Amino acid sequence: MVQLPTWTALSPTLLLGLTAIVLLLVDSIDPDSSNNELLAGVAGLGSIAAAATSVWFIVAGTGLPAENGELISLFDDQLVVDQMALFFSFLVASVLTLVVVASYDYMADKARQAKYYSLTVMAATGMSLLGSANGLAVAFVALELASLPSYALVAILKTNKGSVEAALKYFLVGALSSGVFLYGISLVYGATGSLQFDAVAAALTDGVPAGILGIGVLMIVGGVAFKTASVPFHFWAPEAYEGAPAPISAFLSSASKAAGFVLAFRVFATALMGDAVLAVVDWVLVFQVLAIVTMFVGNFAAATQENVKRMLAYSSVGHAGYVLIGLAALTGGSSDAYVLGSGMMHLLVYGFMNTGAFLFIALVEYWDIGRTFEDYNGLATQAPLACAAMTVFLFSLAGLPIGGGFFSKFNLLMATVRSGTWFLGAALIVNSALSLYYYTRVVKAMWIEEPASGLEIERYPIGLYTAVLVAALVTVLLLPGFDAVSQTAETAASLL
Amino acid sequence: MIPTQYYLLLSAAVFCIGIFGVLTRRNALIFLMSVELILNAANINLVAFSFQYGNLSGQVFALFAMGLAAAEVAVGLGIVLVLYRNFSDIDVTEATTMRW
Amino acid sequence: MTAFDYAPAIALLPFVSFLVALFGGQYLPKKGALAGIAATAGSLVLSAWVALTVAGGQTYNEALYTFTAGLETFDLHLGILIDPLTALMLLIVSFIALLVHVFSLGYMNDEGETGLPRYYAGLGLFTASMLGFVYADNILMAFMFFELVGLCSYLLIGFNFREAGPPSAAKKAFLVTRFGDYFFLIGVVGIFVTFAGATQTPGLFAGEGSFPVVAEHAIVDGATEGLNTFGFEPQTWFTILGLLVLGGVMGKSAQFPLHTWLPDAMEGPTPVSALIHAATMVAAGVYLVARMYGFYALTPTTLAVIALVGGFTALFAATMGVVKQELKQVLAYSTISQYGYMMLALGSGGYIAAVFHLTTHAVFKALLFLGAGAVIIAMHHEENMWEMGGLKDKMPVTYYTFLAGSLALAGIVPFAGFWSKDEVLYEALIHGFGTEGGLGTVFLVAYAMGLLAVFFTGFYTFRMVYLTFHGEARTETAKKPHGVRWNVKGPLAVLGILATTIGFVNLAPVKKLTGLEVDFLHKWLLGAEGSGWEALLTGYEHYEHVLHDGPAHVLVGEPLGATGTLIASALLSLGLAVAGVLAARSLYKVPEPVEHTDKLGSIKTLLMHNYYQDEYQVWLATGFTYPLSRAADKFDQGVIDGVVNGISSVSLFSGSRVRRLQTGVVTNYALFITIALVVLLVVFGLTGGWF
Repeated sequence: MVQLPTWTALSPTLLLGLTAIVLLLVDSIDPDSSNNELLAGVAGLGSIAAAATSVWFIVAGTGLPAENGELISLFDDQLVVDQMALFFSFLVASVLTLVVVASYDYMADKARQAKYYSLTVMAATGMSLLGSANGLAVAFVALELASLPSYALVAILKTNKGSVEAALKYFLVGALSSGVFLYGISLVYGATGSLQFDAVAAALTDGVPAGILGIGVLMIVGGVAFKTASVPFHFWAPEAYEGAPAPISAFLSSASKAAGFVLAFRVFATALMGDAVLAVVDWVLVFQVLAIVTMFVGNFAAATQENVKRMLAYSSVGHAGYVLIGLAALTGGSSDAYVLGSGMMHLLVYGFMNTGAFLFIALVEYWDIGRTFEDYNGLATQAPLACAAMTVFLFSLAGLPIGGGFFSKFNLLMATVRSGTWFLGAALIVNSALSLYYYTRVVKAMWIEEPASGLEIERYPIGLYTAVLVAALVTVLLLPGFDAVSQTAETAASLL
Repeated sequence: MIPTQYYLLLSAAVFCIGIFGVLTRRNALIFLMSVELILNAANINLVAFSFQYGNLSGQVFALFAMGLAAAEVAVGLGIVLVLYRNFSDIDVTEATTMRW
Repeated sequence: MTAFDYAPAIALLPFVSFLVALFGGQYLPKKGALAGIAATAGSLVLSAWVALTVAGGQTYNEALYTFTAGLETFDLHLGILIDPLTALMLLIVSFIALLVHVFSLGYMNDEGETGLPRYYAGLGLFTASMLGFVYADNILMAFMFFELVGLCSYLLIGFNFREAGPPSAAKKAFLVTRFGDYFFLIGVVGIFVTFAGATQTPGLFAGEGSFPVVAEHAIVDGATEGLNTFGFEPQTWFTILGLLVLGGVMGKSAQFPLHTWLPDAMEGPTPVSALIHAATMVAAGVYLVARMYGFYALTPTTLAVIALVGGFTALFAATMGVVKQELKQVLAYSTISQYGYMMLALGSGGYIAAVFHLTTHAVFKALLFLGAGAVIIAMHHEENMWEMGGLKDKMPVTYYTFLAGSLALAGIVPFAGFWSKDEVLYEALIHGFGTEGGLGTVFLVAYAMGLLAVFFTGFYTFRMVYLTFHGEARTETAKKPHGVRWNVKGPLAVLGILATTIGFVNLAPVKKLTGLEVDFLHKWLLGAEGSGWEALLTGYEHYEHVLHDGPAHVLVGEPLGATGTLIASALLSLGLAVAGVLAARSLYKVPEPVEHTDKLGSIKTLLMHNYYQDEYQVWLATGFTYPLSRAADKFDQGVIDGVVNGISSVSLFSGSRVRRLQTGVVTNYALFITIALVVLLVVFGLTGGWF
């Protein structure tokens, strides 16, 4: 068997980057191309290749320590390829695949398609790279690589007021947050004299200047909270998700959130996990507060929405709160790998079920039948298959045992039990119960309510349907196949 | 040699001015400029600490940050442009069709 | 291969016939009847083979299918226990079920009833459930099949669901027996909880490690280690458990005060009544007591309760039977009364007498119901006895077989009922005299009630016979009755012969008087050393030992000497029975009998209304349970729902507030972010000691 060169371990990210460049090339040759078979095809192939490579590497154990106990690291330890990086590459690439397939129909009659696809893949490259980042500098660059195309993507419908307003808010909050994040990085650098995670961890002994380190850590929390749409940096999320084209909402709320979390996992579990840091600034406590507030704000605000897409946007904030348990329940003890792992599991399952739900919204937008709950009345009479898929997504999001969301939430709950942070578990239960209420409203509207007169659907777009149904299938299959996910996630978490 | 604390104070002042601008200015362009101030406050820190520790990673990172700031402004200006087209204004508080 | 390897098929065959009738009955020539007949015949053959094997001294007690395996504790399983009691009951159930299936050809098919596949499916499932119940090796499995039996009786009683009566009767049967089963279920759970710590197999009926045996060790030998008796003395707690299980028994076996469903259950088709009364539903209760007799024999209080309830029910039901006008109603009250005798026997230590009476009763009550069915066919579904009369000459086969059954029921020598009823009363009498203290007195009181009931039994039985068959035909229908075919006469003939002769299987008095070894049933159930199944500890020898040496101290006392007491007891019961028959004869064996019930005055009203049992139970439901339920509903609607609704409106209200945070103005967002950051910095700066 041929031993591949070490740099090929980065293949998933490199494949995404390559795809982005090819698409950019198409764009520069033919800026007004509306050949969406070609564009979606290239983007889809690239993303599938990246996802497949990630799975191959995970199965082959590329991200596991070699015999000398070393993980694959590149560019003077600035990038690392471990199971966690591959796990998130897979997550990002599979979400991207679904989004691209759905966009084939969604973007069919819209302008600037080549730019759309190249920006999407470029953002995905950044997110995937973020999973490999092993230093604050690379992390910031990757973060911006993910963010900047996202701003432009939200604004891609230039003449749509909602799209522009969403982009403006996303961009302004994002710019502020990245400023805060960068300032935090500069302070941590000031306290340790290093940007690489392991070096930062090594430099953090008892003698560090408390104020500088403390402010720096809290500002980094802010940068992470922005990317993951956690309170109080979540303000952009409801508007950005509502105003953006629905496939982009799906992409941002699933993949971008996951990228934010992998950054958080790396920074906090690798660089800042130490008694010296925790004595200065108890960031676990910060995350506990943020987790609970995020859960409550997201779910409570979602409960009274009239617009389904905005409801999903708030629910996405709520789910960020759930995943924050993966950080907030860290104790420094033996349960940490399980706690982090359970956060990763939820992100993966969420990647499919939430993407699916937003793509269903994309389908509804494609049909142009309105955005409120009432507009969904009786939709199942016209599109039973898609509505069944949406029901799977919603119930799985709520944590009912119809999809993988049941097990991932269950694992989060067990994580709180094992680490003794019962209040997080209680908040998880209360909010899941509340979420069932507003998810069920959609299901009720689709299946039980009488359709408005004249509700008729004429087109059944193949790309959107494929994406929605595949997402539903994966969500359901994650129920029996959850063992594989949980084992990979736990192994990955234990390697940090 | 000027002590590092002075640079820290300078950057903190610049950061605060940036935040102040973000909070009070409604013009999108000035908002952008304020964000630039925040980013540059961080750059001052990076360069100063780099000088203090005698390693170059901070300075190099500052260069990256400047590049990224430029890219950010480019995207930002694009968004401000479409904002103007859609809302006939670049007042950031005008665009409030989505809320609650 | 031994017979035991085929034992599961005994219950599975009728189950298959259930499936066949349910899904394929429409397309079969007799709508599923033939499948049922074949299945029950197969069960009968297998039961006979099993009985022969058991006669050879072999028994069987194995778990077959474990559906919940316990880690380091008991598991829940389906299994089969076959000892002589089981073998006997399997024979009875499959035999009666076979005859009922054959009879149904005449009663249902020939009469052109609709919905026959449903009927035969019900019969098949009913038979299968009862057979499964009979050879259940543990109390949980017994409970499961007990419930299935209840379900099937519901389905069959309500067979004619388009009429007004049957659905209501079915519901009543279901609810009243379910009321008893509720206690049974608690008892089952209680037994598992109590014995789980002391044995790996707390649910089993037989063998070392089964709950009756562990309980016996606890009480007789004081080995209470691992038992969980909830702080009670073991004997007190076992009494409670026994009484809980007895709740299910009293519901199913229609013992006072849960007997009210049974007369109403006459709304079901007559063959179903025969099956319910003779071999399945009602027999299940008494059989359960016999099955776990080792447990009941330990606690004098439960014995006393069983004996008293039995004696009282025997008398109480017999008096109500006296005034009934419908043929099947009389039989229904006689069933209640006869099961009272069995309970009386079990309570007073006459285990063999009870099983004996269960056997003979199965035969003669099946005979009487099938005979009644024949009369009903002949009378074009007229059931009032006052509309009949003079049928003797028109349907001789029915008459003579019915007469045999009636003589057996009345307890006239030498018909089957005499021998078994006499033994029941004799056992109660001698144990009443022999046992010291209150328990002996209770036995004597129960005996007195049982004895008195003999008179009424003779009276109502022959009132029924004379009114139905003798005298002049009182209506046009009775003058020209509808003929019946072989499929009705055949079962009647078989049962008629058996009703006359089955008593000879246990001629215990004859043995005592002459020394002839003719008490075959006694030997069958003894389980003495060397019988091959003493290890199961379910033989009478073991029970006798428990009764003697346990806390009950049931002993034999013969005030007139062995022979004298025996003869006195037999003469007394026979005399009363004959007196009852003669009284009926003098009143009703006239060409044109008239109602004499008015002479009873106010007692007639009381009897006609069944002692207002239904009325007070309805009052209990409407006057007590209903207001209680309404109060609970109020509590639920007001407090519980109020709290829930309150939480939801608070949530929604706070949700509508929380969303206002999202003002839509991006500058505000920047402000909120800054404030939050500053707050975090200040709080953590102060606690972290940065300044």
